[in-house]
Amino acid sequence: MKNIFLAMFIASISLVSCKKEELNPNPTVPIAPVIVNYTTLGTDTTANNEIVTLYSLTSEIKTGYNKTFITVKDLSGIAITNATVVFEPLMDMGMMQHASPVENPIYNSDIEKYEGVVIYTMSSLSGVWTLGVNVNGSSVSFGITVLESPTQVVRSFTGTDGEIYIITLVPPSTWNVGMNELEIMINKKTSMMSFPADNDFTAVLTPEMVSMAHGSPNNISPVLVGNGHYKGTVNLTMTGDWRLHLELSKAGVIINTDAYLDILF
Amino acid sequence: MDNQNILIVISFLFSGFSFAQEDSTSQKKEILIQEVRIIGVKFNEIKTPDLQQQTDKVLSEISGVTLIKRGNYAQEPTIRGLNSGQLSSTLDGMHIFGACTDRMDPISSYVEPNNLNSIQLNLGPTEEQSTNQVGGGLNFKLLKAIPNAEKLFSGRIGAGFETNALAIQSLGSLQYSRKKWALSVNGIFRKANNYYAGNREQILFSQYEKYNVGGSFTALLDSFNIIHVDYLQDNGKDIGYPALTMDVSFANAKIISIGHEYKKDSNRIYKMESKVYLNFIDHAMDDTKRPPETVPMHMDMPGTSRTVGFYSGGKLRVSHKQFIQFKITGFQNDLHAEMTMYPPIGKEMFMLTIPDARRSVIGLSVSDKLYFGSNINLSIGGRFEFVKSEITTLLGRQTLTSFYNGNPTKTNLLYNIFIQFEEKLGKKTMLYFGIAKALRNPTLQEMYGFYLYNRVDGHDYLGNPMLKTESSWNGNLGMKYKTSKWNLNGQIYSYFFKDYIAGRVLADYSVMTIGGKGVKEYVNLPSAILYGSEFTLEWKPIHKLLIQSMNSVSYAKDNDGDALPFIPPFKSINAISYDLKETNIKLESIIGAQQKHV
Repeated sequence: MKNIFLAMFIASISLVSCKKEELNPNPTVPIAPVIVNYTTLGTDTTANNEIVTLYSLTSEIKTGYNKTFITVKDLSGIAITNATVVFEPLMDMGMMQHASPVENPIYNSDIEKYEGVVIYTMSSLSGVWTLGVNVNGSSVSFGITVLESPTQVVRSFTGTDGEIYIITLVPPSTWNVGMNELEIMINKKTSMMSFPADNDFTAVLTPEMVSMAHGSPNNISPVLVGNGHYKGTVNLTMTGDWRLHLELSKAGVIINTDAYLDILF
Repeated sequence: MDNQNILIVISFLFSGFSFAQEDSTSQKKEILIQEVRIIGVKFNEIKTPDLQQQTDKVLSEISGVTLIKRGNYAQEPTIRGLNSGQLSSTLDGMHIFGACTDRMDPISSYVEPNNLNSIQLNLGPTEEQSTNQVGGGLNFKLLKAIPNAEKLFSGRIGAGFETNALAIQSLGSLQYSRKKWALSVNGIFRKANNYYAGNREQILFSQYEKYNVGGSFTALLDSFNIIHVDYLQDNGKDIGYPALTMDVSFANAKIISIGHEYKKDSNRIYKMESKVYLNFIDHAMDDTKRPPETVPMHMDMPGTSRTVGFYSGGKLRVSHKQFIQFKITGFQNDLHAEMTMYPPIGKEMFMLTIPDARRSVIGLSVSDKLYFGSNINLSIGGRFEFVKSEITTLLGRQTLTSFYNGNPTKTNLLYNIFIQFEEKLGKKTMLYFGIAKALRNPTLQEMYGFYLYNRVDGHDYLGNPMLKTESSWNGNLGMKYKTSKWNLNGQIYSYFFKDYIAGRVLADYSVMTIGGKGVKEYVNLPSAILYGSEFTLEWKPIHKLLIQSMNSVSYAKDNDGDALPFIPPFKSINAISYDLKETNIKLESIIGAQQKHV
């Protein structure tokens, strides 16, 4: 009987420790190898007999920032990795035609594809999108159906300086509750066909939970990282509809008091 | 606090009942609710006191305890105005933590007088402490099944009615007692409608409904060893909180424990007690019963709290003048609280308000009680404790990045020491004084809480994982006088806090709760002081008449001279009770002064 206390004590400790293991899921989630499923959007052959295949990360293309990939092969199927590739998106609205901002593809040997970005500024409801791909001076063209994004992730505006700019959210793979890296891209419309990156902005970020009209603390306004990209930190304290208010200035002059972008998660 | 609240309650209690105090010292009190006399190993006689009243009512009549009232149910007990983070609440030595982020569910709401044997109050570190706290705590002792009782079957049923809330209560208990073992079950059902205040004004949303069942199994293994298995379940539902904008749809607690007791008076270690336990609390707030115009946005706010733990301790007789008491305790508490808000348009919003926080504690308490002659005794003791606080889920850690980017896991070593001196001056008078140094870890809410709304000051609170340990020097000085007719006890006390944990306004933070005034973050204030006095009087001028008066006053301020929250000012409870055959007539008045120091 005297051992009962000891037995209880051991039992209690082992019970607690068993429970501990059971309750304690491994806090570090192992990073699974990223398997990317590319959707083939089309294949065409240029006048130079180069076979161009166009890929995206999703089967549906939506307005905003879209990573776009191509492969270039010769007629015998051997990959060409040193081509000069240029994206030439075109929106045909009947009365007028215009292009949109792009980041031209660069060959990425890890994924064996040329990787670039096309920003679709409007959906196909407004006209007909085609994406021209110019490989070593010779173009092929793909029809693209662009759906409207559920939230405002790209915005075109006329600044107080009279110039037209495009501001685009560079979406992360997922939004999380808590601190998130926020990346935006700003391009200037210099002609209907030319949208160079603009590196001259400063931004002030103020997120807002639209449904409740409150903000969040500890945000870091995006600053230039190069090529029209600006990076900051946004604090999303809960899931839901967030509006990222952005006050944009150039050389100390406010160009737009509220070029907001919306996210939803 | 409103102006002067004078509440007069006349209750006719069937069977005489008064609180007996047992095993009480100057800093430690035990308030008996149902008496269990132990003669050798033979147990007998359970008194039948007024088990109809709420635990809150019982608590409110203990000197030093003040209840923070948010409704007609589950009031939060505080001791001398210290807050729940500075106190420990245990049930039979088991640590339990409420799951509600609005503190709607103190431990006392999950127990009923029907399943309690007694309530122990500690006014600071004492021999009975089971965790490191600066302000002592409450321990609710459960009623156990008693083997070898006089009757094989014994039981009790009762029903009650309260006019001011049209409340009904039905309770019952049954015990089956054999020579070597016994099983008892008890249950109570309560249902109350809206409470009517003194001027016949109906207090809307003060209704509640609950049932509470308990089961206890006791087995005598031999003359010295006893095994206890206890289960307690409390299910409350549709609980209104008129002081808040939300009610509680359910508050459920399940509490189970297995314990062992060893008693042999001739042994050097004459008493050992050990227990393993598990409890789970599931709680959900509800705004669907409120008029739509008062609910700007529907929200679901569920929370859970789970604790597993053990303790083991004993009492050692060094000589008939010296007794050593020791206890090792360990527990692990997991808290989860979340909020989903449903805007009229747009997507629902989800957030963690307690981001899956866990606390693990292991500690050792040792105390030594020495008797010098027959008039002087001295208690010296202390406790060491290791505390680990952490966030257990990825979502929780992501949530925490909103206000803290360091490692959320924190460990802490705590200690406390106390010395208490008592001297009898003659046969009727006792003088006592003591000092204690105590440390406490910030609570999980204070460390990791995420926009926890405090309706008293209208602020959302952000936790602070960088909080330092709060410490306190606590002193008490008092005198008791007792004769057959008189029982007087007067005490003054003070607490000098260092790194006192309180909220500080974050001026440019935007408030999350609709209608809130601002955001506060928990910080360590350099210092704070709390002092006060308690005076109790019992007078039995004739055999059946008892006049009682309990008075307390306290004052507290921080280093800037600002008031600390929830400090009760002057409070006086006065009662006259008279035993008339089987009926006890009691007239009671509670006076609370307005707190002007805010």
